[in-house]
Amino acid sequence: MGIESSAHTFGVGIVDNGRMLANEKMMYDVGTHGMIPAKVAETHVKNAGTVIETALGKAKVSMREIEGVGYTKGPGIGACLQIGQLAAKTIAIGLGVKITPVNHAVAHVEITKHESKMKDPIALYVSGGNSQILKLAQTPFPHYQILGETFDVGVGNMLDAFAREIKLKPAWGSTVAKLAANGRYVEMPYTVKGMDFAFTGLLTYASELAGKRSNEDLCYSIQETSFSMLCEATERALLLTNSDELELCGGVAQSSRLQEMLRSVCKEHGMRFGVAKNEYNADNGGMIAYVAERMLKKGASETIAKCDIQQKYRIDKAVVV
Amino acid sequence: MRKLSEGAEAKVFSTRLFGVDAVVKQRHAKAYRIKELDETLRATRTKKEAKAMLRAYEAGVNVPRILGVGKFSIYMERKSGRLMKDSRMKDMDFRKLGSLLALMHGADVVHGDFTPANVMIHGKELCVIDFGLSDISSSVEDKALDLLLMKRSVGEPQYRIFARAYAKGLSNSKQILARLAEVERRGRYQTRTLA
Repeated sequence: MGIESSAHTFGVGIVDNGRMLANEKMMYDVGTHGMIPAKVAETHVKNAGTVIETALGKAKVSMREIEGVGYTKGPGIGACLQIGQLAAKTIAIGLGVKITPVNHAVAHVEITKHESKMKDPIALYVSGGNSQILKLAQTPFPHYQILGETFDVGVGNMLDAFAREIKLKPAWGSTVAKLAANGRYVEMPYTVKGMDFAFTGLLTYASELAGKRSNEDLCYSIQETSFSMLCEATERALLLTNSDELELCGGVAQSSRLQEMLRSVCKEHGMRFGVAKNEYNADNGGMIAYVAERMLKKGASETIAKCDIQQKYRIDKAVVV
Repeated sequence: MRKLSEGAEAKVFSTRLFGVDAVVKQRHAKAYRIKELDETLRATRTKKEAKAMLRAYEAGVNVPRILGVGKFSIYMERKSGRLMKDSRMKDMDFRKLGSLLALMHGADVVHGDFTPANVMIHGKELCVIDFGLSDISSSVEDKALDLLLMKRSVGEPQYRIFARAYAKGLSNSKQILARLAEVERRGRYQTRTLA
């Protein structure tokens, strides 16, 4: 069983030998205000039991059949992470089974790699808080090396912040995309340095144009500019590492426009492109269960006392088993 | 025209122009991005690259001479020789390289990708190529990043020879080397290996 609670989603997944039996979730309603950590944590506490029960029912297994448990150690919001951690520890102690912490970003990359049957892809991981270009490296230990990343905010948070600025309704990613469909291009700041990129200049510029240009034009331009930045950096990483596979994962991977653009990058060089089903791109417990099962099978468990959380648990610090 | 190399944003072909061996670097269209953005990026980057090369040339740095500039392409003289990274690098070469970068920085040309992969050796001559990520900038930070990239690309003793020659050739080098130390202390550069 895997438990995810790094942000607004409390998710529980159950896997059996890599086969997903259940992937259930309940979410905190971000409304128009975004996430208030204490409120999100409170919601997770309220929902935890229900989500666990629903997942067990869906998987048609009883609690006693659970052989191991994993939870998200980070990165994420401290107050939220703690709820998943506590639930996982309680289950591990109650059932007397092994437990392992899981890196949230590793889980997104690994489930997508598994779903799209790739061997050694470059991964573009894009979500609210994260935007990174990754590749598995073996030294000094097996980990995802960060080839490029955002210098400031994640692309998802940038789009959300802009959408709030022009008073759009959530879910912001999709409302921006909807307006963008009827927009025309306005030139905006474009910041790529090698395989790294920055978004705050773009956000400030677009926000200052609010009211002066139509929301359609602004949404179209901010989306095209930020996604083009991601594509350019990713293409550079693919060519520099001689890779022939690209996977896209994380919440923003649900964008059909971003998928279309990266497919075009891959097509130009005869590379394979892969993206998981949207249920895995959004935060979910299934991906945590998938990685935890593999870790526990290979003996990578942790003692209860050492099962901590870490808000800034960077992906290159996590051992990939 | 024969294709010599292909990167993420440009292709380099060999050709002849005005009776001399030349290469042409073309920034090709990218199908993934919208036409307006694509053309703006390609045009501004081509202009910027040509400007930086010209300025470096005027400062006395050995760079390929520009023969012509189009909207998305730069024609330049073809330099013979081998890439520094593919040849046996002597201490003398690193001394020369340090002086070259000092000359460039003195003229506010920041290369942006200053590694032995972008320097050619022909006999005793060093030639700096690929100004694709370059910029005209007086920023101490930008210049420090040129040093950082070279430091990460070569061995410690070679870097020291390089840095000594650089320090000698530039009046405000002390400031730039101090900034480099500061950049290296920052978290993200400590935990991340440069690709």
